Amino acid sequence: MKQKTQVDDIDRSLYDFRFEENEGDFLDSGITPEIINEISDEKNDPDWMRQHRLRCLEVYRRTPMVSWGASVEGLDIDNIVTYIRPKTRMNTDWESVPDNIKETFERLGIPQAERESLAGVGAQYDSELVYHNVRKEVAESGVVYTDLEGAMHDPRYAEIIRSHFMKLVPPTDHKFAALHGAVWSGGSFVYVPKNVHLEIPLQSYFRLNAKGAGQFEHTLIILEENSYLHFIEGCSAPKYYEAGLHAGCVELYVGKGAALRYSTIENWSKNMYNLNTKRAIVQENGRIEWVSGSFGSHVSYLYPMSILNGRGASAEFTGITFAGEGQDLDTGAKIVHNAPDTSSYMNTKSISKSGGKSTFRSAVQVNENACGSKSSVSCESLMLDNISRSDTVPVIDVKTDKCDVGHEAKIGRISNEAIFYLTSRGLTEEEARAMIVRGFADNVSKELPLEYAVEMNNLIKLEMHGSIG
Amino acid sequence: MGTTRLNILPVPTFSKLGVNFVERDISKYEPQELVIAPPYENPVRADVTGSTDIKLTAPENSSLTVILYIKPDSKLMLDTFLSASAGSRVRLVQVFEGGGQTVSRLTSELGENASLELVQLYLRGEDTVSEIVTKLAGRGSAFSAEIGCRLSGSDKLDLNLIAEHTGRRTASEISLGSVLDGSAQKTFKGTIDFKNGCGGSKGSEHEDALLMSESVKNRTVPVILCDEEDVEGSHGATIGRLDEQHIFYLGSRGLSEEKIYELMSRGKLLRTINKINDGAVKQRIFDALGWEYDD
Repeated sequence: MKQKTQVDDIDRSLYDFRFEENEGDFLDSGITPEIINEISDEKNDPDWMRQHRLRCLEVYRRTPMVSWGASVEGLDIDNIVTYIRPKTRMNTDWESVPDNIKETFERLGIPQAERESLAGVGAQYDSELVYHNVRKEVAESGVVYTDLEGAMHDPRYAEIIRSHFMKLVPPTDHKFAALHGAVWSGGSFVYVPKNVHLEIPLQSYFRLNAKGAGQFEHTLIILEENSYLHFIEGCSAPKYYEAGLHAGCVELYVGKGAALRYSTIENWSKNMYNLNTKRAIVQENGRIEWVSGSFGSHVSYLYPMSILNGRGASAEFTGITFAGEGQDLDTGAKIVHNAPDTSSYMNTKSISKSGGKSTFRSAVQVNENACGSKSSVSCESLMLDNISRSDTVPVIDVKTDKCDVGHEAKIGRISNEAIFYLTSRGLTEEEARAMIVRGFADNVSKELPLEYAVEMNNLIKLEMHGSIG
Repeated sequence: MGTTRLNILPVPTFSKLGVNFVERDISKYEPQELVIAPPYENPVRADVTGSTDIKLTAPENSSLTVILYIKPDSKLMLDTFLSASAGSRVRLVQVFEGGGQTVSRLTSELGENASLELVQLYLRGEDTVSEIVTKLAGRGSAFSAEIGCRLSGSDKLDLNLIAEHTGRRTASEISLGSVLDGSAQKTFKGTIDFKNGCGGSKGSEHEDALLMSESVKNRTVPVILCDEEDVEGSHGATIGRLDEQHIFYLGSRGLSEEKIYELMSRGKLLRTINKINDGAVKQRIFDALGWEYDD
């Protein structure tokens, strides 16, 4: 008898370990001016930041929930702890990190990755960064890679932070941007000076250990003229029954002729609401490349946005989304062509199985001043069973005739013809199906750094089995 | 009077893009009723100049061609409902000459092995809101749409097409060719909706938009919704000016760039016009476009 091929869910055993927290570590749940002030006190915020947080709270209260996308009904902000006091100060020496936190990151392989292939590492545990380090030769080139709060208090960077913080993602952007502005904590600041090419990547890893909590880190990266950076971001959390929330914010400023590659492997647990906002503004002949893998979360809203603001600026987005049981992953990208001769390319893949729902949502806007611009969007979706769902909702908004915009989308299952062809070449049906699914995800895995490509393959763990009778 | 939301996108998206719906005041319309049911002459021709509710009925295994020429005196609301029974074949031609505010809604229900071939032409669209909802409910039912539009000046067209596949082995094929000039605005929302249980179904849509002025605005929202594994859906769109290599090639044959664009825009419309097998209607279309008609 013919048995349907099964594709297993992601193996999460690596990520689902956890350590207990003390009650005293938590601020009250919910969001009130008192809690905001308490966070500001904890962090010794400058006055402008305290006022910014309180303004964001007002915006948050008056901004309605989004009227589109995946349901966030299971998320009760009043039950989310927005800030957890750190057990340790930020360290630059790995040995000074408390044992249980150290063990967490050891298990996730972060220190090993730092030793082998990274120029610098940041590690955030719940609300605060616990470790930040950058190689000596990298620091000597003028590259700054430090915690954002430290930079805010450093006279060398304070004004830069003030003039860039939440200027690209204003709190009025949407409800969770406002929430982020009110309760943000942790995150990294990266500054790459003019003409500096950082050949090896920097990496930040975000771990949310506490249950019923939120993580609201802010990443601010500034690349000066003709510089280059590859920044890697990883995220995970253990599984709890209570909903958790990640509402981080990433702001990327790419200068003239500079290039930034921003890679993310997101593997939050399936109780998490991942409502993250990422945005880049790119100046003349600059380039932003996003590589994004979305595997975890119960619900995701994630659409990295590229604003091509200078002549000849370009953007590329490569993404894969794997939605399994109980997941509703709403992902995609936004690109705004806001200058002449800009170009963009979007290439995404999504896989839905075991009742998971995957939505590809995108927007390409070509403004009146973007003469000579080109854009191409390609999205493919693979349905692996009959109880899952996959939607594709792209928008192309063109306001000039002097452009060239193309879009293609495909949706379907593994074709019987492809299986027939491969089996006629001597492969078993299981091997044929496994090969096709691996090939489907290949364009993303080959864009990732090697160690992350291996992690992605482990994450997907497309274990095929079946029999032909 | 208040406004009504029309052309609602089946799955809403980023609100700031303004494509989820349009709002118009339709309270003033008082439609007359037109029923097209057997016995009828085939083809059925009708001119629509005022608000009208049209009911089309195609009995089992029948063949019906309906040609509607829509030219509003002022404001017009056209509500067309088609019921195509098992095995019937319906060909519906709708030509919108424009000239006033137009709101059109075409709802079709297709039975087993029934087919609808829709040919729509928008020659102007001072302010046209048009919705096409086709329910492919019967096993083996098929829907094809060949839509052409030419907008210029300050014309506005909002087009919302939904092909809803519920029956097994159903097929939809949608093609839109448009030419925009002046400060015309067009929004095309095309949705292929594979409902659970429509195994073996296929849907495809393609849009080709030629933009001829720097003030035009073109929005395309090609949606595929998939709640069924055993389906094939695809979408393709090309938007912009003519390819430079095309212009170079034709230019090297002695044609000016202006002439090349004129020929290309004419070609896009002719693709749709040539699907209309009626000399008199073609003549009217050519007259409206200011083209010389040579049958």
